[in-house]
Amino acid sequence: MAKDELKKYFDILELPADASLREIHKSFLRLKKIYSNESIAVTPLGEEFSEKRRKKILEDVEAAYVKLIAAKKDESSRTAFLPVEEPEFTPDQERIVDPAYSGPSLRKIREKAGIELSEISKELKLRVDLLKSLEAEKFEALPEAIYLKVHLKNYAAMLGLDPIRVAEEYLRRHKAWKENSAPPEK
Amino acid sequence: MTLTTKIKEGEIWAVGGGKGGTGKSFITSSIGTYLARKGKNVVLVDMDIGGANLHSFFGINRPQKSLTSFFEMGASLSDLVVKTDTDNISLISGDVHSIASDKITFSQKLKLFRQIMKINAQNVIIDLGAGSHYNTLDTFLIADRMVVVLVPEVIAIENMYHFVKNSLFRKVKKTLKEYGFKEIVQHIWDRRQSYGITNIRELIDYLKESFSYIGTILDHELASFKIHLVLNMVRNNNDILLGMSIKSVMTKYLGIPIEYSGYIEYNDAVWKSVRERKPFMLNYLASSCAKEIESFVDNVIKGKEVSLPGGY
Repeated sequence: MAKDELKKYFDILELPADASLREIHKSFLRLKKIYSNESIAVTPLGEEFSEKRRKKILEDVEAAYVKLIAAKKDESSRTAFLPVEEPEFTPDQERIVDPAYSGPSLRKIREKAGIELSEISKELKLRVDLLKSLEAEKFEALPEAIYLKVHLKNYAAMLGLDPIRVAEEYLRRHKAWKENSAPPEK
Repeated sequence: MTLTTKIKEGEIWAVGGGKGGTGKSFITSSIGTYLARKGKNVVLVDMDIGGANLHSFFGINRPQKSLTSFFEMGASLSDLVVKTDTDNISLISGDVHSIASDKITFSQKLKLFRQIMKINAQNVIIDLGAGSHYNTLDTFLIADRMVVVLVPEVIAIENMYHFVKNSLFRKVKKTLKEYGFKEIVQHIWDRRQSYGITNIRELIDYLKESFSYIGTILDHELASFKIHLVLNMVRNNNDILLGMSIKSVMTKYLGIPIEYSGYIEYNDAVWKSVRERKPFMLNYLASSCAKEIESFVDNVIKGKEVSLPGGY
């Protein structure tokens, strides 16, 4: 039963049953993009298209994402897949609470999604302490903006967030810090 | 099934997709050239009724023999096979004159299909031409490997959806016709709203539920309905990713799973090659286009899907 249910969610996200956490995030982002706004692939649909159906697909995708994240988390703690309580988390809701992405808000989103730093570290091949510094905005411990941007985008993708916006907003704070802390030139 | 019970000689490919100008003939000739280079014995059939041009991809200006003789004089298909200058490739040219799809009689069609299946070649590749005429769909349905060609634009996508939907609908109707269900299928489809049916998948599910004994028949027949998508003339990563979106939309809205087997980038070398009236794959062996065609064909054969650039 649990396995069938799991399979169903993987199907909704159009993934094989052995997909990694990263693939789950990527697929979620991709599908969300297709069904949030009308993609060129959706426009030519005829009578099959309905707004209701579009919303239903989007809901299913989001629900499958939440369940699979939870299942992956369970999996790593060596327990069988259990049905999750209520889907309490979607990245979009989080944005309303926190209008701009910052280190702490990203940490909050990550914790709500139930993703461990160690998982991200494994997927992105980044040290845990670097990720901790990122979330704590210990800017002095982070690499140059040009590298940081890449890490931020990958990190955001793993949380199911818009990588470009996350990188942009985070780097704005990073830049402000840099301008304040840099010794005056000349 | 053992080789001795196999009624067909070779493996049949059909290349269609609805819209004209998406590169069906180019892709048909390229699949053929690649398979021939791999040592397969290939016969190409130009079924683009009224718009036949496959011969020009092999430098033939006016084909001496064509399907016209089959339709008008009752010639046998095997007498119309002409060798091309390319090793291992022969061609049955299309009708360059006037035959209209509507003029083909039912018995002519059956005879044509029978003879196509008997063509003595390891691979028969049919260029279907544009449109979703029922004769075109029926030809598509006799293939072992069904390929649809698409370019990244709305009208082509719309035509392709139409083409695939109608092919599947025809397949369902034809399958059930033998069991006396043809009228019922059409009847339910015409009243689909009152049945709460929005797409062909739901129609199939409804039929299976209501008439459980046809369930296995449908499952068995529809298992062979496997569409391979190739996206032609892509210009950037977004175009390539569009194939994924199409696959998703087809599964989620139409209930028709397809395989995204390949993409071919837009390349001036292609139209140059067409102008020179030479097979592209031989002329531009080292081009990225040729590589993309090869991996597309390999994917179709192996039942694999594209690997997307940049790990998408």
